[in-house]
Amino acid sequence: MAVTKLAYYPGCPSGTHAIEQDISTKALFEKLGIELVEVEDWNCCGAVEIEDPHLVYALNARNLAIAEKDNLDIATPCSICFYNLERTNRALREDKDLSAKIRGIDPALDYKGTIRARHTLDVIVNEVGLDEISKKVVKKVPLKVAPYYGCYIGRPSEIGFDDPDNPDSMDRLIELIGGEVVPFSQMKTKCCGGPLMMTKGDLAFEMTKKILEAAKAKGADCIVTACPLCHMLLDAKQPDIEEKYSIKIEMPVLYISQLLGLALGIDPKKLGLDKNIVSTKEIERKVI
Amino acid sequence: MAIKTWELDPKFKYEIAATPGGEEIMKCFQCSTCTIGCPVTEIVPSYNPRRIIQMSLLGMKKEVLESDEIWLCAICQTCSERCPQDVKISDLMGAIRRIAEKEAEEGKIEVKSVRPIFDKAFANQLRKYGRLYEMGLSLEYYRKAHKGLISGLMAMQKDYSKLGMRLFKHGKMGPRSMLPEKIKRTDEVKKIFEKMGE
Repeated sequence: MAVTKLAYYPGCPSGTHAIEQDISTKALFEKLGIELVEVEDWNCCGAVEIEDPHLVYALNARNLAIAEKDNLDIATPCSICFYNLERTNRALREDKDLSAKIRGIDPALDYKGTIRARHTLDVIVNEVGLDEISKKVVKKVPLKVAPYYGCYIGRPSEIGFDDPDNPDSMDRLIELIGGEVVPFSQMKTKCCGGPLMMTKGDLAFEMTKKILEAAKAKGADCIVTACPLCHMLLDAKQPDIEEKYSIKIEMPVLYISQLLGLALGIDPKKLGLDKNIVSTKEIERKVI
Repeated sequence: MAIKTWELDPKFKYEIAATPGGEEIMKCFQCSTCTIGCPVTEIVPSYNPRRIIQMSLLGMKKEVLESDEIWLCAICQTCSERCPQDVKISDLMGAIRRIAEKEAEEGKIEVKSVRPIFDKAFANQLRKYGRLYEMGLSLEYYRKAHKGLISGLMAMQKDYSKLGMRLFKHGKMGPRSMLPEKIKRTDEVKKIFEKMGE
């Protein structure tokens, strides 16, 4: 295992609705022996709301430049932040004129293009690796799990780190820790509608409802995800979806860092499991 | 409805192609792969990205920019991933939306969707604080989308009071989240917006 230290980019929801992802990611990486150094004074990646790619590149050039000063690859647990950081990395390497233009804005954007941007899930599966993780597994998680990947883990494929149509990085982790992956290939990469949540809520609810109902129909004990926006809709908004359609789902939605953390024997409190909206008590109880 | 050929704007496709994200529009050969796989089309069958591209190529500028459909895209990249012509439709839709926002600001067209208001409110938080300030975003968005502070607050209360309580109970929305988390060097971010903003 080569990586021992990474620049950590928490992303904006890390202090609010995705706090359990932040907490569990830090606890997990400590257990895995990788030091996370928070990117000093990081700024927002632009999420999906900043639609001008050049503006996104400039915003993320600043974040990349800060991490580059410490000569560290940058890692984030958010799929959208990952997409924006890595597409910036690509664009600035490929387009020298654009790179020069952005560098000209301010010395703080003087990014030389020497580091990589990674999703923490990518680091876990492809850098630490399953062999190394299996040595650290102390508990069995005999759950039926629906792995939900959402969009940017595999798409677009020039940026994503997993297969665009049938990603399996979370599947492999679930199986490693004694879980069973429910048949979910039709749903695992179907968009939850996150970017429409505020401006076209009904449509986003329909999209998320499909994912929740599919997981329920397949008999899943929980869904796991690796993106705060997917998690917001699947978990925090689940009671609203139940109310709107008069249905009962009651499906716990964990971040993959939380589920893996349980298998590595990390205390549920240190994984922020009390912060998930749909209760995770049953999940904790089934860990042996 | 027949197309009024004399009202077409043949320059529209070049305008899109000159907008970052829209560069590949002319490669589209209308195969519909984008539309067949679209998760939004699955729910709203009238949503048809292939048709939006065709209308753009024909020069139906006003119809495209004033259509509600361009605001339904969830930017999920499924179309971009599957397109055999590498049109990068997710980015292309973004380019079309930005042209629509610009034209609406100049009073040339009318946009009914509230999405531009949301995107703008989001950008404003970033420009001011360097990070997303969710409370500030919600307040600005609801105030502008509902044309007034009081009506905005009432709509926000209706949409978000239950979610807010839920988040509060689980320690995800405390006094800390009422205030913005401001980065130290906001001047650098301001400069980015000044120099790169369209």
